[in-house]
Amino acid sequence: MTRSLKLFLTFLLTDTIFNITAITATLLLAERFNGIGMWSKFQVVFLVGYATLTEGLLEMFFGYNILFMSRRLGRGQLDHILVQPQSIWLAFFTEGFNPFTASGSVLIGLLLIIWSSIELHLHISFLWICFALLNVVASMSVVLFFCFCWSSLAFWAPRAAEEITTPLMRIFRSLDAFPFDGLSFLLLSGVTVIVPVAFVAWYPSRYLLGLDTSILNAMLTPLVALGISILALFVFKKGLEHYGRTGSQRYDSLGHRG
Amino acid sequence: MFFSLVRKYWKTAELEATGHMGDDPMFFIQYIFRFLRVVVLLSLWRTILENQPHNAEMSLAAVLTYTLIAEIFNEQLNPQTGLAWDLLRGRTATAFLQPIGLVEQFSSKMLGRWLASLALFSAPLLLLAPLLGVSAAPANLINLPLFVLSLVLCVSIGVALDFIITALGVIYFEQTIYAVERVHTALTLLLSGALIPLTLMPWGLGEILGWLPFASTASAPLRIYTGTGDPGLLLVIQFCWALVLWPISHWLWESNREKLVSFGG
Repeated sequence: MTRSLKLFLTFLLTDTIFNITAITATLLLAERFNGIGMWSKFQVVFLVGYATLTEGLLEMFFGYNILFMSRRLGRGQLDHILVQPQSIWLAFFTEGFNPFTASGSVLIGLLLIIWSSIELHLHISFLWICFALLNVVASMSVVLFFCFCWSSLAFWAPRAAEEITTPLMRIFRSLDAFPFDGLSFLLLSGVTVIVPVAFVAWYPSRYLLGLDTSILNAMLTPLVALGISILALFVFKKGLEHYGRTGSQRYDSLGHRG
Repeated sequence: MFFSLVRKYWKTAELEATGHMGDDPMFFIQYIFRFLRVVVLLSLWRTILENQPHNAEMSLAAVLTYTLIAEIFNEQLNPQTGLAWDLLRGRTATAFLQPIGLVEQFSSKMLGRWLASLALFSAPLLLLAPLLGVSAAPANLINLPLFVLSLVLCVSIGVALDFIITALGVIYFEQTIYAVERVHTALTLLLSGALIPLTLMPWGLGEILGWLPFASTASAPLRIYTGTGDPGLLLVIQFCWALVLWPISHWLWESNREKLVSFGG
């Protein structure tokens, strides 16, 4: 931002348009049909706001291909981190911080949540805010560690798995702002187990909107996030061990993949 | 002469198609994700429309067919040559050295990428349509050749738009072509009616968007296929946009290609 205001404004504007466009379809449908399934119009607005906030925070904290880790592994760019005098986890959780250009989506998400909460007369208590924060962090973790899990394939198949996170993120972004209540058991399994897109916004919103107030529902996303993160760390560690033995064949003197 | 010309384009397409599968043996995973996405979308449409009073503009069956055909012809309804990405990665310098025109070269590559997807995803999805409870047949038999004609015009308009937006990117947003391309993709998806049919948009938005060139890509052929639009009017609008956009595209590239500087990827 300090180096080029024009560049900063261009990225802020284009990123905001990109993210608004992604949620507009759901909002237009909610307006046209006064809601989606059993969800009222403003409940859908809340769900969309939550999904936008989660996506915005992921962009804000895990930019520069931290979220798309398969690209870095596939291109042999992990070496850039390994030569630094700090742990790779510290590098992952600090160098992807992108506070300005990603702020557009975070603000839009927050505004949609606040607007819908007012319209729905939600009772916001201290406990509600704690659960909301916990669930947002959990939703982010589900996406991040699920992508890390698949990205680890790039340790063994750098060329083939380089872009494995792209179709994954596409499915997250295209479906995360929809309510899944009408889905059959088989499909619901698909959006919770095969690609856990239901935990990005749907499950947490159900609790926060009071549609399912059980403590199990409040803690479901954090528990799933914990499970996925343990699995991701295990797989990533195994991949790292393999990388320690083989290194990368795709790095050349220009720093670009071959 | 003609065969030599076609062979040149075909070989370019073939290289791209085999390269796509050879370089990326995990390509089938993205088809699994795409399949899951379309099944969920079909189910969502059922949830949205099942409790609605009879929809005058589009029945549930028509919306389901629309969604399925939109996914089957996803790449053709949102044609992207990849020119902007090559510009970003510094590959255009090599492209200019090839003994084949820029439009023909990128169109052939685009066709090559389609071949794998058509064979490995679109055809199986079409065959699976009855299992998904969706009719993949066109509204009338006559609509099928009209759909094919409309699809050809859609690809033509899409490629022209791609070249125009990339040319503008070269002039005004050279350092941010990545961001511009992301917005282009996202806006096209929404405004073209590929995601939700324009007739189902609120406040009569669809009627306005229907006149834009974006609607002449996805919406027009899909409306013809599902019998939810006047084929004559839709084809005339498409033809007019193709006539308007191609000269603009040609002029923009001719007047700005000298400004392009490439330092490699």
